[in-house]
Amino acid sequence: MEHSLFFWSVMGWMVVWGAIGGTVTRHAYFMRDLDVTDARRVGVAVGAATGPFGLIPLYFKTPKLTRLWKVAPWFGVLGLFVLAFALSDPGNVCVSSGSFLTSQIANGLIMGTIYGLMALGLALIFSIIGIVSFSHGEFYMIGGMVVYYVTAVLLPGWNPLLAVLMACALTFCVGALFERAFLTPIYDGRVERPIEYSILVTFGLAFFLQYLVQGLGGANPVKADAFIELPRWRWPADGSVIVTSRANITLFDTIFVSTPRLMAAVVSILALAALIWFLFRTWWGKALRAVAQDRQAAAVTGIDPRIMNMLAFGLGCMLAGLAGAVLVQAFSWLPQTGTIPALRSFVIIVLGGLGSLPGAFVGGILMGMIEAAGAGCIPDPTRAASYLPAYGMVVLTLVLLLKPTGLFGRKA
Amino acid sequence: MIRSLPNALGALGVAFLLGFPLLYAGGNYDYVMHLWITAFFYAILASSWALLAGYGGQFSFGHMAFMALGAYSAGLLDNYVVLSSHATGTCTEIGLFGSWLVLVDPTGVSTSAVNCLQQARGVWPEGVTTSRLPLLLSILIGAGVGGGFGWLIGTLVLRLRAAYLALFTVGFSEILRAAISAEVWLTRGQAGLPMSPIFPEGVTIFGTFYASNAKLPVYYVMLGLFLLTLVILISLARSRIGLFLRALREDEDAAEALGVDTVKYKRTVFVVTAMIAATAGVVQGHYVGIITPNTLILLQMALVIAMAVIGGLENVVAAAVGAIIISFGLEFLRNDFIIFGERVDMSTWRLVFFGLLLMLTLRFLRNGVIHGGLLWLERRAVGAETVAKRRATPKSGTEEAK
Repeated sequence: MEHSLFFWSVMGWMVVWGAIGGTVTRHAYFMRDLDVTDARRVGVAVGAATGPFGLIPLYFKTPKLTRLWKVAPWFGVLGLFVLAFALSDPGNVCVSSGSFLTSQIANGLIMGTIYGLMALGLALIFSIIGIVSFSHGEFYMIGGMVVYYVTAVLLPGWNPLLAVLMACALTFCVGALFERAFLTPIYDGRVERPIEYSILVTFGLAFFLQYLVQGLGGANPVKADAFIELPRWRWPADGSVIVTSRANITLFDTIFVSTPRLMAAVVSILALAALIWFLFRTWWGKALRAVAQDRQAAAVTGIDPRIMNMLAFGLGCMLAGLAGAVLVQAFSWLPQTGTIPALRSFVIIVLGGLGSLPGAFVGGILMGMIEAAGAGCIPDPTRAASYLPAYGMVVLTLVLLLKPTGLFGRKA
Repeated sequence: MIRSLPNALGALGVAFLLGFPLLYAGGNYDYVMHLWITAFFYAILASSWALLAGYGGQFSFGHMAFMALGAYSAGLLDNYVVLSSHATGTCTEIGLFGSWLVLVDPTGVSTSAVNCLQQARGVWPEGVTTSRLPLLLSILIGAGVGGGFGWLIGTLVLRLRAAYLALFTVGFSEILRAAISAEVWLTRGQAGLPMSPIFPEGVTIFGTFYASNAKLPVYYVMLGLFLLTLVILISLARSRIGLFLRALREDEDAAEALGVDTVKYKRTVFVVTAMIAATAGVVQGHYVGIITPNTLILLQMALVIAMAVIGGLENVVAAAVGAIIISFGLEFLRNDFIIFGERVDMSTWRLVFFGLLLMLTLRFLRNGVIHGGLLWLERRAVGAETVAKRRATPKSGTEEAK
């Protein structure tokens, strides 16, 4: 970075004024007997974005905090951050190359779709059963492993989508069986502290599955072949709109997308459409949403909550397995692969609001963009790649500090 | 009589552990001692985690991260801070009571560059001595770093629901691992940071000299730390703080309504257990001689949890005994065997077995094996006493009933 001192002093300025703004604005609203629920957050955003210039009028005027007040300052914060970055590091490939930037955005969207799908599974489990599954990453890993073993070892030459379906079926069954065998005591008060029990028992499952797969398949990395290999093709003839090659697609000469990831995103979007159809158009899906809203009322209308718990856990695990199954063609796969995606899913559901399904998907897209920005823009690419889990943790810390209920959260 | 059995067994166990290295005369002396030292290390971690989780109800997955923070603080001090009797002139240094505190510049793992201390050694006169900081100081610093991070995380997360702490600590230990692996210039990454032995010049106990690689002094250091940990944990559990912890574990809202400052007590126990883990990390790091980021993988944390759960979460001594038994069990299950012509890699399958054991214990024996056994003994004792009382006064009992 060329002017790192400048960058870090802007960051320091933003943090200091953010902290001052949060304290002072809440105090101002509190002293005038106004609604303080959003005062601290708005104060932080206004302080960080404008420093004293926005805070002083806010302090003396104390306007009613409308939606505009809650959202607009955050775009100011984002803009200031981007501006400081661009000014302090003009030579960075992120700043100087528009093509790289658009490719990163496209990649972020693609990966974000898959992250969203995986986090959706975790959010589904939380919204129905009220627990956070710590074995989510292992189901992701198993999904990928099944696709690899089916396509490369057991049935080579078959359609890989069949393997994806098999991975879904297996993860669904394992999840549902686990729920039946180990999670039933938390519904009827047979364990004293259900939340803690569920954390430990799903963590135990994660440990068990990880080493079971390592014992069965070995600890060496595996990599599945790409689902489809695109023919070389360009349109129009000079390739100014679309050029395809074996591993890449180039759009408008500027956006580069890797084919396996694009295929993964396409399958994810299809799966998402199927999930939405299931949740909103079928009896079972409506019953699931009913249980998520009010367990007792759903039971009164004849929905068996126990079946719904089993279905929700199985579906949640299946979504993780699906995310792994479509991504195994893009990354190499180890029994330990699941840890970082699991962590990312945790961050996403906290960012989106625990138990909120749209929140999980929007959070997934945001997380994809943040990781693409982090991996692409931070100088020193090897370090940027090894700190991949850290971007999520920065987001998690900010969310916990500013809005623990997340973007779409219902209550604390 | 049954009632005092656990205490008698405990006293017997402590006496056995104190005398063991002096009386043991079997083969593989160093190997057996090493097993015991490792078992004590895990017992410290498992019992302190049991206090946090079983008494406080705070399920943190960051215990190994605090251990590693302690170990890495001590390792960095060990490598980059040196006490010297002569000024180097090339390094950053501070004069202290006639000797010099020298900050050595890190040169990383892949470079062959000469650091400032090695340069100075070339031009120094004869008789200049250098040494690392005293062990107690580095233990204090390591524990302080662990406790400091514990305080920060506790302040951020402990006011929220239980799942947030678990989520955040998983992430924290993953980041710490990423940072240690990535900052090769400072921590030497996956290659690991070398650490000097606990007694670099050897030690003389009761007239017998033990070299720096002898196991016996380390055994007693680790045993002492283990017993000290148990004393601290038990007194904490029996104090007012322990009472508040159990209250807020059972019903946080009710405890808060009765005036217990829940966040404060949760944070206190979180910081204390983090400091204990960090201390164990410092000693273990110096004993093993190297510390690598692989201590932070899921496996290590899962082992500590499995030990505490199988021993008994709500009893720190049971968790410690469980840890000792399991760490020996892990060692004995290490040998591969051949079944139907296939070689079974036991180093993986034993972990599968312990994962399954962890889940089954949680599901069917929620008090753990050892704590559950103790409770069963206690119930039998109470039952026997009640029956004896009834038999002694059969008539008054029946008359009162009428």
